[in-house]
Parts: sequence; structure tokens; C-alpha cells
Amino acid sequence: MISVPVILSVMFLGGLLAWLANRFVPKGASWTAVLVMAFAGYLVFALPSCGGAFNFQVGTMDIMWKSTTYSSLFAMLIAVLGFLGLLYSMDFMAGKQNLGYYYMNFLFTLGAMLGIVYSQDLVSLFFFWEIMTWSSFMLVIYSGKKEAHKAGIKYFAYSAIGAYFLLSAIVILYAKSGSFALSENIAVFPQMGVWMQVMVITFLALGFGVKSAMMPLHVWAPEAYGESPSGFTAVFSGALSKMGIFGLGLVLFKFAANTEVFVWVKETLAWLGGLTAMLATFYAVFQKDSKKLLAYSSIGQLGYIIVGLALGTPLGIMAALFLTIMHGAFKAMLFMSAGAVYMRTGTTDMTEVNGLITKMPLTFLTALFGIISVAGIPPLGGFISKWMLYQALLESNHYFLIIVIFIASTTAFLYLYRFIFSLFLGQREKEVENIKEAPLSMLIPMLFLVVFVLVAGVVPGTIIAPIGKAMGYLGNFKASWEPAVVFSAWGEKIDMQVIATTIGVIFVLGAIFIGLKDRKSTRLVSTKDIHTAGEVPTENENLTYAVNFNQPFERALGPLLKLSVDKLFNLIGINLEGTFEYLRYVYTGNGQTYAMYVILMVVILILFSGSIFGIHL
Amino acid sequence: MEFSPVLYIAIPLFAAFLIPLLGKVSKTLVKFTPGIVLLFLSYGSVLLFPKAMEKPIVQIVAGFKPPFGISLYYGPTAAFLITMVTIVGFVIWLYSYKFIIREPEEKYYMLFMMLITGSTGILLTGDMFNMFVFLEITSIAAYSLTAFLRDKDGAEAAFKYLLIGAFSSTFFLLSVMIIYSYTGTLNFADIARHIDLIPPMAKGFVLVLVLVGMGIEAEMFPLNGWAPDAYSQAPSPVGAVFGGIVVKAGLYAMIRIVFLFFNTPEVLQFLVFMGILTLLIAEMAAMRQSQIKRMLAFSSIGQMGLVIIALGLGTTDSTGAALFQMFNHAIIKSLLFFAAGYLVFHSGSKKLEDMEGLGYDKPITSFFFALGALAIIGLPPFSGFWSKLLILMSVAKAGEIWILVLILAGSVIEAIYYLRAVVKLYTRKEVPDNVRRTPISGLIAMGILAAVIIYVGLYPGVIEKWLTPAANNLLNAADYIKAGLF
Repeated sequence: MISVPVILSVMFLGGLLAWLANRFVPKGASWTAVLVMAFAGYLVFALPSCGGAFNFQVGTMDIMWKSTTYSSLFAMLIAVLGFLGLLYSMDFMAGKQNLGYYYMNFLFTLGAMLGIVYSQDLVSLFFFWEIMTWSSFMLVIYSGKKEAHKAGIKYFAYSAIGAYFLLSAIVILYAKSGSFALSENIAVFPQMGVWMQVMVITFLALGFGVKSAMMPLHVWAPEAYGESPSGFTAVFSGALSKMGIFGLGLVLFKFAANTEVFVWVKETLAWLGGLTAMLATFYAVFQKDSKKLLAYSSIGQLGYIIVGLALGTPLGIMAALFLTIMHGAFKAMLFMSAGAVYMRTGTTDMTEVNGLITKMPLTFLTALFGIISVAGIPPLGGFISKWMLYQALLESNHYFLIIVIFIASTTAFLYLYRFIFSLFLGQREKEVENIKEAPLSMLIPMLFLVVFVLVAGVVPGTIIAPIGKAMGYLGNFKASWEPAVVFSAWGEKIDMQVIATTIGVIFVLGAIFIGLKDRKSTRLVSTKDIHTAGEVPTENENLTYAVNFNQPFERALGPLLKLSVDKLFNLIGINLEGTFEYLRYVYTGNGQTYAMYVILMVVILILFSGSIFGIHL
Repeated sequence: MEFSPVLYIAIPLFAAFLIPLLGKVSKTLVKFTPGIVLLFLSYGSVLLFPKAMEKPIVQIVAGFKPPFGISLYYGPTAAFLITMVTIVGFVIWLYSYKFIIREPEEKYYMLFMMLITGSTGILLTGDMFNMFVFLEITSIAAYSLTAFLRDKDGAEAAFKYLLIGAFSSTFFLLSVMIIYSYTGTLNFADIARHIDLIPPMAKGFVLVLVLVGMGIEAEMFPLNGWAPDAYSQAPSPVGAVFGGIVVKAGLYAMIRIVFLFFNTPEVLQFLVFMGILTLLIAEMAAMRQSQIKRMLAFSSIGQMGLVIIALGLGTTDSTGAALFQMFNHAIIKSLLFFAAGYLVFHSGSKKLEDMEGLGYDKPITSFFFALGALAIIGLPPFSGFWSKLLILMSVAKAGEIWILVLILAGSVIEAIYYLRAVVKLYTRKEVPDNVRRTPISGLIAMGILAAVIIYVGLYPGVIEKWLTPAANNLLNAADYIKAGLF
């Protein structure tokens, strides 16, 4: 009998088992983790999308677990990405220290994420939310380097602030409804006062917004993504940040939808999402570190998802959920390929590595499919989601928001091209002569995802089917779909297979043409080709432009982006700590001062006892 | 044999006097006696626990019926706290077993037993003057234990503690005198019955004296200046004794008196206010500490602030949550002090920055510290999560959103400095080969506490079901009077 507690126990006991296995068997941890996740993944898929219910009591609190159509969509994403991330880690982490610790926390994070989506009450949701936070924090600080520690503390601090907003909202809801059950709170919520509603919605949105790295709460993300081991970063960005989206979906359509303020909530979130998408893209263009670039890209993509959700139209939600799945896939591909490059070259700095295409062709292929998908070019999966998002924006008359999103999508080309060009194209340098292709356990997940984004693009119906069911849970939304057809808002049909075939044919013809044209190994260059001013470059002269890649753009936007919230928050933090430093000297270490405090306290209490205790002395 | 509450006081007191004599015979006997005593007491308290929860056990000492004689009141609240004190006491003994090796051990164990006597006495007694006596026993044992290492810092800390502690006992004695002069009785139940005999002015003085006097013991701001020094300069197990036992007894004394005699909204509001101040200022000060044990001391103060807030709300839920938090703080802070003790021992320095890399060199001790840190921040699946959640639930139920926000602000600060400390342990750094090891008895002590933390974290019901009777007993003065006077 498959039910939620079985899945969760498999994950958490599996985590402990992986830790134990590391003590006794070499490579035991990685194999255990992969097998545990494979088994749990099987259970997740086998669990009926409306079942596996399990209720019990912890202390005086009722805990309810159940799988819904909405949660099973996210659970599948977690299970698949988690499995691929663990598989990837097998070779990526091979030979490193503390593997038991790594795999245990990895499985704990995944288990906690599954716990979050299966929770039908707010206590267990928060319970798993916090487990997810600390276990992922453990993975961010895995390397034990100072920078990783800094990133980890920052991640945890912001997460804690978010989590406590969440917790405040939860206990306030409890105080009003007398129960932690999700269904009961949803039922009671419309009867609360408007200000109470606004407060609860704001707190919940802040709590979930931190995890989904919504601006201006995103500042933890670039460093945390950058410092965590790549196998986990794929899951971190691909699935863990989606927990915020999961929560925002609940907030929007389960809580806010039945209130008067729904329109305002939607518009605010939509604009926050739009700005996140645009600004994060700008920041991404500036990055020299491949993982940080992808981190900002990830923040931006989550902005799109928030926009889609916040539109609140069926098409918008469909776009958001589709992008949730697709982003999970393509961002995992990109992080995995960046990780593969890091593993082979030892750096994530894009100015240091060039021309890996011939050395790591399959990694290049993954990265290529990844960026095509991010950019939203047909026939890959990213296109479908962008298509739906634009339509949803048009349909709901958000013309200004379209401009923002359009700027973001076009600017995205800049950093995407930089990513693939700097790492894989251009002049190859001597240092990378002995580089080998990534090992097998890393290639399998990467290539699997390549196939996945292709299938998602050509036969989007396979993914839209579960999304349609999930939308049914959120409200009375229906998704119109056929296996290979995307409908436009005006009822036109776009047959993806025709598009895919056309593009495929053009691609093949182009490849043949280029192949024929360049079949000779040497190429004649005209005398007008003077890019080296007639001099023959020596071998160690760098001709690629990975340094100062987007210089004009950076020059144009640089001053604007210097005003970052990150710096503002850091400044606030530093000043607060400075204040604490002063306050600390309340405790002078001098016994006489302490004695004086006691006497002062007595005097004050006696003098003001009338106003403090209502007793006049 | 029927286990009787008077044994909680008699046995450790007897043991305290026996230990120096045993010292003449055998050192091993000295070491083992407190363990056996505490194990027996924990066993007894677990045995007596369900009975006390059903109906308070009131025992008359020396044959005089209250209000004339001294009575012991073993109600649900006392049962809850005494069980906690004896169990934590046993674990502290286990930890001390190998930790205290430098000094004459008889003295340490004798003082430790005196301290247990005093604390259980405070929790048990139904007589106000008797409480003062036990308070003095506890305090004097605590002063001596602070200076136990006989170094300069320890002596200084003990002197500060003594100075402030003198205020505490003087104020308390004064309030006992004022009360006695008006009511002519010292029995708590009897005083509560005749509280209206005291004129308002004298009552006000008593209130101020009790709040300040016991506020010192309960580490209320700004009366807690003694705490950071005492915690950090005393031997590590003594730090755990302070956090787990002494402060809890002091707070119990204060809150019992407040709920019995002065249960007015204004007083409770004042407690909430002082609790918030204590919490926030202590957390802020803790953030800037460079010494691990000072950091723990300030965190301890902060936790007491949280407990005071919850007690000040004065509802059954909040009082129960406060008791749960007291329990959690006792076990978690003991674990942290235990681990910190060996971290200091291994690194040879009290400073956090000198402990870099110990996480890889001394994995088990560091693991326990990290676990304690996560638990005290209030992360699941550890026990601290549930008590914090219960406190916040009761705050929200009382409709005090601002208090909620302030508590959580304190928690954010707490999370940051604890994780900074943990992360420091796990900085990759070459550590010179260190042949010292954490002894098995220390590891077992920490292991027991860690197991309790995780077990209660997964099954909070084991504690939670006792909270309502214990809280009601503390809140309901009428029941106390009825039971206390037969």
C-alpha cells in the first residue's frame, strides 16, 4: 500500500542509511542514495494523484498528509530532478570527503520537499519547510571554504526571515480558525477582516517569496547557488526554489482568490515578478562566473513563473506551471554542464576557459539545448511556456508588463550566448588540451534532459496533461490541450510537430550545406581579412573576447545596477551589528555597575509602581 | 516502598554530608555517590509523576499541620520541573565524571549535591521562609562552584555573582518579613488566602522586592549582569547546572509568587515587557561575543526572556508552552555547554575563532554542538521547534502580533550567531595533531541529551500531554490554596 508516510520514511531513513553506508562501504553512500531515490521516485509516480491520505496526531496537533493533483505535479518534478541530481553526483563527487554527510543532507532536502508538497496542514508544511532549509544550508556550506560559509549564513539568514514570516502567518491563521488544517483555514479565511487578510497574504507571500528568490528578496541566491556543489545546484535551482512557487500558488488561488483584495495581490505580484525577470537578467549579463550567471538567470526565470501565476488566468497559470517544469529541466542541464566544465577544468570563471566544444561535445550539446530552451526558441520546451506567457499577458491586457518581459527575454540572449561562447566556443587554449568528456554518470542525466526538453517541445501535451489536473486543484481552471498542439488564446492551433519537423529539416539541410562548403581543411582568406592587422598571431595571444564580453551593454547599464538591494541589505546588517556592539556594553563586566542596575531597577519600580502595577506606594 | 517527596530534599542533603566522609575511604565512591543518588531520584520522580499529575501530593514535615508547620507541595508543576531537574542533574553528573579531575572532587560533588538539594527544595516547598533557606543553599553552592577552578577570572565572576546574589536574597528575605508581619503566616496557601490583609502599599513593596529579587535569579534584564561571567568562567558542567537547574528554580519561585499573590493584568504585562527586553538585548549582545561560553550565556538569558514572555501572557496555553520551553532549554543548553566544554578543552582557548577546523578533528563533539545549535534555534525535527511553536501559537491567540514579531526578530538573530559558530567549527583548516580525546562518559552524557532532543522532537506528545495540568496548577491559585491547607 503506497501512501505518503511510506515515501517520506523511505527518504529520511534512506538518508540515514546513506550516511551509514559511507562508513562501511566505499562508494556506498552514492549508490544507496541513488537507489533510495529511484525507489522513492517510483513510489511518487505510483501514488495516485488524489490519495495516499494519512492523518495522525503529534502532541495536540492534527497532521494531515495527502497527495493532490497539484502536489503530485511538484512531487514528480522533485523526484525526477532529485534522482538525476544524485546520479550526476556519483561521478561529480567521487573521491571527495564527507560523502555520507553530502548524500544524507541531499536526501533529507528532497524528502523535506516531498513532505512540503504532500502536507495538508500548516504545521507539517512548516516542519518540512525548516528541515528543507537547514539540510540545504548544510549542502551550501559543504565545501568548508570561507566563501561557502558566508553564502550559507546569508542563505540561512534570509530563509529564516522568510520562514518566520511564514510562521507568523501560520500562527495568526491558527489563532483565527483554531485549526492548522489547510482546508479549514481556506474556508475561514474569507470571513476575516480585510487588514488581517492583507497581513496574512503579505506574510505568506514574503515567506514563499524568499525561497523563490523574488526580488528584492533574492540576494541570497547567487552566492548560495554559486557555492553549492553542482549536483545539488541543479536541484536547488530546479526544484527547491519551486517550493516558493508551490506556496505562492496556494496563497494566490486558495487564500487571496476569495477576498476583495485579489486584484491588488495579483497586480503587485505580477509586477514584482516582471521586475525580477528584467533586473535579474541585467545582472546575469554582468557575471563572469558561470554558476553565478546561471543563478541570476534562474532568478529571472522564476520571475516569469511568478508573472504567469499572478496573472491568474488559466493560460497564465498553465504557462507558469509549464515553465516550472521546463525551468527545472533546462536549468538543471545548464548547471550540470557548468559543473562538468568545473570538474574538468577546476574553474567556473568564464574568462579562463575557452573552446571546449571538441573536448566535451556532449556537454556542449546539453548546454546548447539548455540555452535554446531558456531563450524560448522552438522547437524546445521553453518556447511553449514563453508562447503561453505572452498570450496570457496579451489576453489580460498587461501591455506594459509585456514590454518588461520582452526586454528581459531579449536581453537573456546576451548572457546565454556568453555562457556557451565563453566556455565552449572560441579559440582553444593550451591548458585545456588534455580535457576529457564528463564521466558517464554525469552524461546520463544531462542527455536525458536534452531528450526531455525536445519531447516537451514537440509533444507538449504529455506535460500539459498533469498540469491541467493540477490547475483543477487550484481553482476552476481548465487547460485546453492536445498531445502535439498548443492553442492560442483565440482558438488557433499551433501544431508543434510541423514546426519541429520544419526546423529539423532546415537544421539538417544547413548542416549538410556547411559540411559541403567546409569540407576542405584549409580555408582561403581574402586579403581584406585584417582582424589581426596582417600579423600572424602567436599561440599564446588571446583572440577570444570572453573578457569584457558585453562591454557596451555593461557601460550603458552599469551605473544603474550599482544601486543594488544586496548592498543596501548588507549595509543595514552591518549597521545593526554595529548597534548591537554598542548595546553589548550594557554588560560592562563591572560588578558595581551591575549592582547599580539592580538598585536603579528597584527605585524605578517603586517610583512608578502606580503606573506600572496600578499600586500606589 | 512508597516514594515520598521529602526524599528529594533529604537524600541529596544526606549525600552532600556523606561525600567528604566517603572521600576518606575511596575516591571512586565519591564519584559514584551523586550518580546513584540522582539516578534514584529520577527513578522516583518518574514513578511519582503520574500520581502528582492527578492530584497534588502535600506532605507535612515534622508533624505540624499547615499553616503552622512546613509542608511540601508536590503538584503537577513541581513534578514536571523536578523530574527535569533530577534527570538533567544525572546527565550533568555523568558528564562531570571525567571532566572534573583537577580539583578535590569531594568538594565539587558535595557542592553539586547541595545545589540539587536547594533547587528541588525551592520547587517543592510550600513555605515562603523555607524557600528562602533553599534559595540561600542553592546560591551559596552556586557561588562556590563558579570559583571552583580557583583562577582569577573564576574568582572575579563568583564575586560579582555573590554581590548581585546578596541583593537577591536580601530582597527576598525582606519581602518574607513584610508578608509575615501582616499576615502572620509563612505558608504559601495561607498567605494567598489572607493576601488582602496586607495594605496596598506594603503589597506593592513586596511585589517590587520579589520581582527584583527573583528577577536576579531568573536572569531578567537588567538584573542579569552576573550571568555572562558566571556561566563562562565556571567549569562547563556548572554552566549547564546554572542554565538547566538554578535559573529554572529561581524563575519558578518568582512565577509561583506572582501567580499566587499578584495575579493582576498589570503585573503580567510588566513581565511580558521585561521578557521582551531580556530576549532582545541578550540576543543582540550574544551576536557580538567572541567567546563560545559567553555566547551561550547570553543565549541562555535570551531563552529565559522568551519563557518570561510566555509566562507573562498568563493563559494556560502560554504557561504550558513556557514550561515546555524551560524543559527544552534545560536539555539543549546543557548539551551545548557540554560540547562547548570539550571544544574549549581541545582547542585550548575560549575563543570561537581558535576553534576553526575542530569540526573535522573532533567530529562527534562538534556534531553534538551543531545539533544543539539547530535545536535551540527551534528547527525541526528537534524538540526546540515544538516549544517555540507553542509559544508563538499562544502569543497569536492572545492577539499580540507585535510580540510575535519581536520574538521572531530575536530568533533570527539567534539563528545567525549560532550558525556562525557552527560554521566556524567546520572551516577547513589544518589543525595540529591533537591526541586529547573526549572521554566516553562525556560522549554518553551528550548522546543521552541528543537522543532526548530528537525523541521529543519527533514525539512531542510525551511532554505536551503534561503541560496543561502543570500550567493549570501554576495558574490556579484557588486550587493551590485548597490543596495546600487540606
